[in-house]
This record gives sequence, C-alpha cells and structure tokens, in this order.
Amino acid sequence: MKRINKVWTIAALALIVMIGAAFMPAPKKITVKGSDTMVILAQKWAELYMKAHPEAVIQVTGGGSGTGIAALVNGSTDICNSSRPMKRSEMDKLKDRYASLGVEIPCAKDGITIFLHESNPVKELSIKQLSGIYSGKITNWKEVGGPDMTIKLYGRENSSGTYVFFKDNVVKGDYAASCQTLPGTAAVVNAVSKDKSGIGYGGAAYASGVKHCAVKKDEKSPAYVATPETVKANQYPLTRYLYMYLKNRPTGDIKAYIDWILSPEGQKIVSSVGYFPVR
Amino acid sequence: MRQISILIVFFGVMMSFFQANSLFAQTKVEDLKNEQDTLKEKVTTIRDVISGVEERLATAEADLTKLTRIKVSGYVQAQWLHNEAASSYPGNLFQVRRARVKFTYEPVNGVVFVVQPDFLPGSITLKDAYAQANEPWLKTFSLWVGQFNRPNYEVEYSSSSREVPERSRVIRALYPGERAIGAKMEIAPPKLPLKIQLALFNGNDGLTITDASGNSINPTNNDFDNAKDFMGRVTYAFKLGNIGGLTIGAHGYYGKIKANAYDAINSDYTYNKKIDNIGETLKRNWLGFEGQLHLDVLGGLALKGEYIFGVNSTPGYYATSTVVSPMTSALKNDTLTLTTLTTKTTTARPAITRNFSGYYIYLIKNIGKRHQIAVRFDQYNPNTKLAADQIGTAKWDESSSQTENKYTYAGSDPVVATNAQTKTVVNNLLKSGTADITYSTWTFGYTYFFDDYIKFMIAYEIPVNRKSGTRDANGDGNITSTYKVNDVTGIYDYSNWIKQNVLTVRMQVKF
Repeated sequence: MKRINKVWTIAALALIVMIGAAFMPAPKKITVKGSDTMVILAQKWAELYMKAHPEAVIQVTGGGSGTGIAALVNGSTDICNSSRPMKRSEMDKLKDRYASLGVEIPCAKDGITIFLHESNPVKELSIKQLSGIYSGKITNWKEVGGPDMTIKLYGRENSSGTYVFFKDNVVKGDYAASCQTLPGTAAVVNAVSKDKSGIGYGGAAYASGVKHCAVKKDEKSPAYVATPETVKANQYPLTRYLYMYLKNRPTGDIKAYIDWILSPEGQKIVSSVGYFPVR
Repeated sequence: MRQISILIVFFGVMMSFFQANSLFAQTKVEDLKNEQDTLKEKVTTIRDVISGVEERLATAEADLTKLTRIKVSGYVQAQWLHNEAASSYPGNLFQVRRARVKFTYEPVNGVVFVVQPDFLPGSITLKDAYAQANEPWLKTFSLWVGQFNRPNYEVEYSSSSREVPERSRVIRALYPGERAIGAKMEIAPPKLPLKIQLALFNGNDGLTITDASGNSINPTNNDFDNAKDFMGRVTYAFKLGNIGGLTIGAHGYYGKIKANAYDAINSDYTYNKKIDNIGETLKRNWLGFEGQLHLDVLGGLALKGEYIFGVNSTPGYYATSTVVSPMTSALKNDTLTLTTLTTKTTTARPAITRNFSGYYIYLIKNIGKRHQIAVRFDQYNPNTKLAADQIGTAKWDESSSQTENKYTYAGSDPVVATNAQTKTVVNNLLKSGTADITYSTWTFGYTYFFDDYIKFMIAYEIPVNRKSGTRDANGDGNITSTYKVNDVTGIYDYSNWIKQNVLTVRMQVKF
C-alpha cells in the first residue's frame, strides 16, 4: 500500500512539474516564417520593433506561405506570414496537432502587380489575357497589342502564396511549362527588368526598374494600376490580404508585437514598404 | 640636285618603312583574324557544350518534375501493451501496431493515385488503394474510386493523429478495418465551410461472416451479395470569432446484407420471418450525429463526439448435416438386438437484425507546444431491445430431435433383431449472450510531442461490461465464456464486471 502511495506521489509530482514547465514564460525570441512577398515588410517591422524594444529578439525568414504554414503546424515558428488564406486541409492539420483552429490576423493589403520591361509598349492587360499568357495559350506580344516578340514568362515557386493566388485568380488552370520559376518577387522583378520580352508578377512593394501594367477585370472594365487608392477601394482586380497566422490567441511578447504591428505606427510601415494598410 | 637626291632617298626610305609597316600590319591583321577564328571555334565549342548541358539539364529537370509528383509519407507505431484480462496471455508484450507507408502520385494537377500498405510482422495488408480526380473548374467536386476510408469522423481521423490508441468500440463494430471498396463523390465548395460525401460500397468489407462449419464466406473481402451500401455524410463548420470553431454534421448508412439462413429473428429474439431463398437481404441502416468544438482556452481545447443508432443485421447460416453411424448390441429376453444408430445432425443459425446505439465523447487539452491530455468515454449497446437481465434468457430455438426404429428379425434361439435406428437432430437456434452485452469504456491518454516527427503516448483503457444475465441460487450467472491459459481453464461470468483494462505505452515516428 505504502509503495502504491509512493508511486502515485511521484506521478503527481511529475505531472505538476510538467504542467508547470508548460506554463513557464516563453523566451523573448519570436520567430516569424512564411511568405516571401512579406519578407521585406516583416523584416522592417522586426527591425523597428527591436529598436524600440531592445529586449525583444525577432527572427524573420521567408520560404513561402506554404512553408510558413507547415512550420506553424510542426511548431517551428511562432508566427506564420502568409499571402493567402489558410487552406481547409492545413487548418485540419492544425486542429489535429493543437486542438486549435489557429488565429488569422489580416495585417496588410497587397495588389499583385504585373511587371513588364520598361521598353514594352503594352500598357494594360485583362485577366483573360493574363490567363492566356500564363497558361501558354498566348505566346507572342503581338497577340495583345505589343511587338512581334515571344513572351517570356517569369513566376514564383509553388510553395509561394503569390503563386497560389495568381493560379487561382488569374491562370485558373495549370501554368505553362515554359514559365520560369524564381525564388521571390525580387528575383522576378530583376529578371523582367533585364528581359525586353519578359512578364512577371509579384507584390507591389518590389516593383522598381520595371513597368507596372494596368489590369482590367474584363474587356469592358476600366484598367487600374495598383495604387493605395485603387487597392483600398477594391478597384484593382488583383487585390488580396496579407495575413499572420498563429496557433493560439497571442499572449505576452507575441501579443505586444502583433498589437504594435496593427497600431498606426506598424501600419505606417506597411505604406512605407509599398503595401497598403488594413487600419 | 643634291637636295633632290636626299629627298628621293628620304621618300625611298619612307616608302620602304611604310611598306614594311604595312606588311607588319597585314601580318598582325592576319594573326588577329586567325585568333578570331580560333576564338569563334572555341565559342562555338563552348556553345555546343552549354547546349548539351542545357539539354541534359532540361531532361533532368523533366525527370525531377516527375519525381516531385511522387510523395512518400508514413508512420510507425511501436508499443508495449499490458493487458489485465485473465484470458490474455502473454499479459504484456511488445508490438508493432501500425507501420504504414503512403505513396501518392499526382501525374497531372488534380489527379491523385494513392497506395498505402500496412507492414506488420508476419503480414502485409493493403489499407488504401484509390484514384482521386478533382474537378478543376469549380474546385468543388472530387471523385474517389478504389479502397478508402468510409466517410465518418472517427474513421477518417488518422490513427497517427488520434489522441488515444484505438477507435471507439461502436466505430470498430460498424466499420471494421475502416476502409471499404467502392466509389465516393466529395463536394466541398472552396468558399463555403460545407462538405458533402456520398459513397457507394460493397458493404461487407472487413466483416467476418462464417458458414455452419466456421469457414469464412468473405475471406478475401470480396463482396458476397449483390446489395451495395450507400453512405452519406454532411458537415458544416462555424467560426466562433477568434476563440475557436464548431463543426456539426451527420452521416447515414443505408445498406443490406444477404441472409445466409432460412429464418430471420428480431432484436428481442422473437421470430421475424421465413426466408424463402438464400439471397434475400436484411437491413443495415443507421444514422449518426457528430460535433467537434475547438476552443482556444490557454491553448487548444477540443470536445468531440458522435451518437449513432439504427439496425444492423448478421446473416446467420443455413444447415449442413453430419452423419454418425455407431453399432451397438444388447441381449434381452433371448433376443440379441443389433442396433445400427445413424445420427444425422443439422446445424443452422437464424439471421438476426439487432437494434443498436453507441456514442463517444472526447475531451482533449493541449498544454503548451508539447503536451496533450485526452479523456474519452464511449459506449456501445449492440442490442437496445434487450435489458441486461434478459440477455442469456432470450433465445429463439427451433431445435428438434426424432428417432425412427426399423427392426428386422432372424433366428430363433436367440432371436437376432437388427435395428437400423435413425436419429435426426435439428439444431436451429440462437441464444442471446456476449454479442448483446453493452460496453462502456473510459480511456485516458497523455501524449508528449518530442519534435515534429516523434511522439510518445501513454494510455490506459478501462472497458466496463454491463453486468448482464441472471444468477442462480449459487450466485453463478447464466452468461459465461471460457478461456484456457497455460492449460488452466477459466470462466468469465458476465453477471460480474470482468477486468480487461489495457495499458499502452507507444512511440510513433512519422515521416
């Protein structure tokens, strides 16, 4: 009897220690992983926040929205940046692992911009034309009012949220096999800036040294370039939210950081980087 | 004159110089040309080499693209089990509970082939083998054909994610082996948290159905009747702000099974009907309601449950006969009687349609990133039409025995009588018993997530049988079963609680 009591006492103590350890304050380091589109913005947020809060350590890495969500599910990141909403299957994984649906925080708005070489005379394209171009049905610029030149496609890797958004909302099918995939919007912009026949897509924040192509919903609609006004008014047809995802409702340091991101100070940075604030 | 001569000499020298220079320049140009030609050749060679590399790279990339369309995942669950049931020997053992490798091949976007074997020591079984085609336009419909999970929450919830070692008793009884062969249509509009599953299956998958001799009539899991079973499930998810979400749903099963007997009885063991031809079908119909509540209260908290009720039939079996012919002799009143007894025994079991109900409730709490505790209570009442004290008494019995004598006499002292006696025994009965007993089970589980791939689980399962049957004057119950361990026979008396608790310590590696 005494022996059984001893075993139970040890088991109870072990349980208390375990639960206590679980609730111990987390280290100050916050890890952020995910969308390449959001890397510049996330780094800027982290940099300025750490400057204002020297005790905070924030580590930001990219890899793509899919990679970020996978990292959130397997517990290797605190915050996941994603340029697309979480899929049902991903949410199910989160439910299975943490008994939680996760927390979705829209933190900025973006207009997916179509990049052309500065010498390209094409000024606007409809979603249908873009779909034709990226699915490989339209292969020459002259088919959309440009010079007689083969179109060279640049796009993102399939782990990217931008890739998924563009596929679902523009291509609406499979990308052409000739589409060259590049790691990050910056690489897409760089490639298009050097290629007269190139076309690329990506977050608005990266578009320097290339021409912004206006986009129209259909042939009858007016064409818009992604600007704060057109994105805010949802006129620009390729507008999307940028999200932060967490496993559970934020507490402590993570909550303080997210509150700061959503504050006027944090949202000011959104505009300075080239995206559009949500508040 | 002298000046003219000097001028001529000067011009001559100059001319010679320019000519020499021109010759030198010409040589240099030729050299350069040669160099240019060499360079051109080198560039052409390098270009050819690059083209060759590019071609090889393109081929390699194409091959790599094909390879990226094949995905391999899986998990291994190894465990130590301590079974407290007296009939269990050995009472503790190491086991490989599941060792599954899932191969997924997506040749084109939206078309998926899946094969998942389970490699267990001594056996390899095929768990999943199906083709799935997703409609590309609305991204709403998908068609599945092959062998896959039946549409039910606990069935579809992967064993690698489950918070306790095994599924609830009611689910194991209704969906043995979880998978079935058939076709399924899934409707899941991307913008709506709604999911509809409609499936048609053979229906007898995983059921153990035997004939009078005890041989399985469904050994290779092929269908043994023409009736196909329909299953439907619908779920809808509500978001509860930032605090969590609630998914509610229902599933229904509408199926039939071939009666393998000529008599059918009801759940209370009263006679139902005469079956004219083997091949007539009996009902397997049930309905289930489910809910999963996920809340974010100091980490994840989930409350999940399902209630299922309906009717389920067991096919029974028709008669086979055995004939035994012993010979006896006796001397009585100067008459020698030689008897040849031929006993013909026929054994049959009526088909039965039982009303049943069952449910399970899970409470799961995640503590921090690495710890999870879970409690499950589940109950399965396989026969809701019998009270606990009626089990063991309720029966249907149409057994009979008839003996016919046919004497022939010969001789006078003694008289020799030859009796060709024929005894016909008909065993056609079904008695309520262990198959009708309700079980309630408590399961407690703790899981430690070591990292992304490894987790450890310790779980304790306490099955509680409802005390069933009646007791005689000596206190012995009328529902018993025997077991033999190390040549010692033991008896389970179901008028008592029979200890069958199980402790499982499991390690899972997922990849």
